[in-house]
Amino acid sequence: MSSIRPRSAAAYWLAIPAGLWMLAAVVLPTLLILWVSLWGGQSVSPHNPITFDNYTRFLSNANYRWLILETLGQTAMIMGITGVLGYCIAYFLTVKVTSPAWRTALFLAFVIPFWTSTLIRAIAFVPFLGVNGLLNQALLALGLIERPIQAFLYSRLGVSMAQVSLYTLLASGPVVYMLNSIPPALREAAMTLKATPFTVFRRIILPLTLPGIVIGQVLVFLNVLADFITVTTVGGNKLAFLGNLILLFYEGSQIRATAVVSVLLMAVMLAGVAVALRIVDIRKVGG
Amino acid sequence: MAAPPPALPQLDLELRNIRKRYGGYTAVDGVSLQVPKGQFVCLLGPSGCGKTTTLRCVAGLEEPDAGDILIGGREVTRDPPWERDIAMMFQDFALFPHMSVAKQVGFGLEMQKKPRAEIARRVGEVLTAFEIDHLAERRPAQLSGGQKQRVALARAMITEPRILLLDEPIGALDYSLRETVMLELKSLQRRSGISFIWVTHDQNEAFSLGDLVVVMNHARIEQQGKPEEVLSRPRTAFVAGFIQGNNILRGKAAGAEAGLLRVDAPDGLFSVPLRGRPAPPRGSEVSFSVRAERLLESPGPEIGNRLSLRCNVVEYFGAYRRHVLEAKSGALVKYDQFGALPQSVSPGHLVSFGWKTEDGVLHA
Repeated sequence: MSSIRPRSAAAYWLAIPAGLWMLAAVVLPTLLILWVSLWGGQSVSPHNPITFDNYTRFLSNANYRWLILETLGQTAMIMGITGVLGYCIAYFLTVKVTSPAWRTALFLAFVIPFWTSTLIRAIAFVPFLGVNGLLNQALLALGLIERPIQAFLYSRLGVSMAQVSLYTLLASGPVVYMLNSIPPALREAAMTLKATPFTVFRRIILPLTLPGIVIGQVLVFLNVLADFITVTTVGGNKLAFLGNLILLFYEGSQIRATAVVSVLLMAVMLAGVAVALRIVDIRKVGG
Repeated sequence: MAAPPPALPQLDLELRNIRKRYGGYTAVDGVSLQVPKGQFVCLLGPSGCGKTTTLRCVAGLEEPDAGDILIGGREVTRDPPWERDIAMMFQDFALFPHMSVAKQVGFGLEMQKKPRAEIARRVGEVLTAFEIDHLAERRPAQLSGGQKQRVALARAMITEPRILLLDEPIGALDYSLRETVMLELKSLQRRSGISFIWVTHDQNEAFSLGDLVVVMNHARIEQQGKPEEVLSRPRTAFVAGFIQGNNILRGKAAGAEAGLLRVDAPDGLFSVPLRGRPAPPRGSEVSFSVRAERLLESPGPEIGNRLSLRCNVVEYFGAYRRHVLEAKSGALVKYDQFGALPQSVSPGHLVSFGWKTEDGVLHA
């Protein structure tokens, strides 16, 4: 099929438009932010000397250090929950649901909500989780609680519930793909070699879906770290993570602090992706 | 209800009236089979005939709707695969892509909770026996088709099952490799004493390998017997047609006399031996077959069954020459000449043919 060889002149020419766009939209702004984060002096000016003062000032504040840890903790928790939940959903959809019609119907029911924007979906949680919200009304109607639970909205619990619902698909999708690419005969071959279903899962299915798990976790990791919308809408102003801090500094015109937090956040993201790449070779997935 | 007959301990496998339906589709419809110890059994039939479903029922990968499955005299119909004394080789080998050859071959012993040292020793022995010891650390993606086949076989055989189930085991191999692999598998089966149940649509495989050939069609067994029995005495028109080189002639029963059935066919009146079977009622539709190499060219007066045929095409197949002939009714008849005989019939010729009465095989 492919008539363009890698490293041929044509391949380079074809890469130029996208390369230029990436340079203008990603590389240059990133370098700009990095540069701003290193501006020293009292006043904001590009003529000031280059220094790490902004970083030391930020990191010397215990509140900010705690915020970094809280952000990482929240991300790890959402990764864990969406990972388990996403894997179960993926396994159920691809292995347990055998009727193609049902599988398509369930898959669409799972995917269609993600066609709306993240902002809309985050805002939709307000009437769902509020004091007079759907969840409280339902629990009251069922007689499970006597008065509405305040803690659903404008709390860490509410933000976590919303984030789990928002990002489970990201954890699940790559696993669905990997599960679908496992020939059913592998499972059967293991069973005829006396492996019980749990052993088949542990020795065959889990290792073969590991790349899907890791890719899903990377997606959730990046999205939760960058998520300030859900935290703002569902968490109100009681809650902030690193993403919200960027917005806060930006709105306060503290552009050097904004740049510092942005660079730190980016560094954490890059480190996470680097760890993931050490676990799986993404180039091999789907190959 | 009468008690079921006691299991025969000398049987490796016994199927009693197995039935399996998928929705409105009947995949296996009353299949019964007895496999004595250490037999090479070939399930032969076109795709969709139920041979693979039957095999999967034996493996425990499908549960039959009715009937009993006994392995080594033990009833296992509802047992899961991991509790059966079988191993299986899959059509595309089903090797685990993330395991090295050595790990893969040792998997079955690992599942039996054998000690590490014993697993390592036996994997070493088996890899050597199958001449794949140099591949021990490779992954399946780094193996050729023939090597994959050996790994799959080693992985199944190392567990020393009572029965090895093989689903089109050489169908994925290059044509040039198949004959060698067939010979190796046959001698492996003989040496190991393990019963092989081999599913194939290829009659050459079935007739050259099987101690017992089971021909299936439309979810049922059409005929089972020794290869030479099935080849020389096809029980039904389907079997005769499925096996290469049979001519099938149809007509109406026109009375029986001295063990011979008279068949009134569009191209003549023929005599077919009944071989102890009751004669079909006069006027009923019957069919019989005559092998293409049993036709006689310009037969003498002692040959009773004769018809004149026009030659359409002559084809060469190396070991023999095949003539496609046409009768007056339009029926096509094949005539095979073996050996280095000079060609005597050419396209366009109208020649008289016949066959000895005992070469006719009446179908059920």
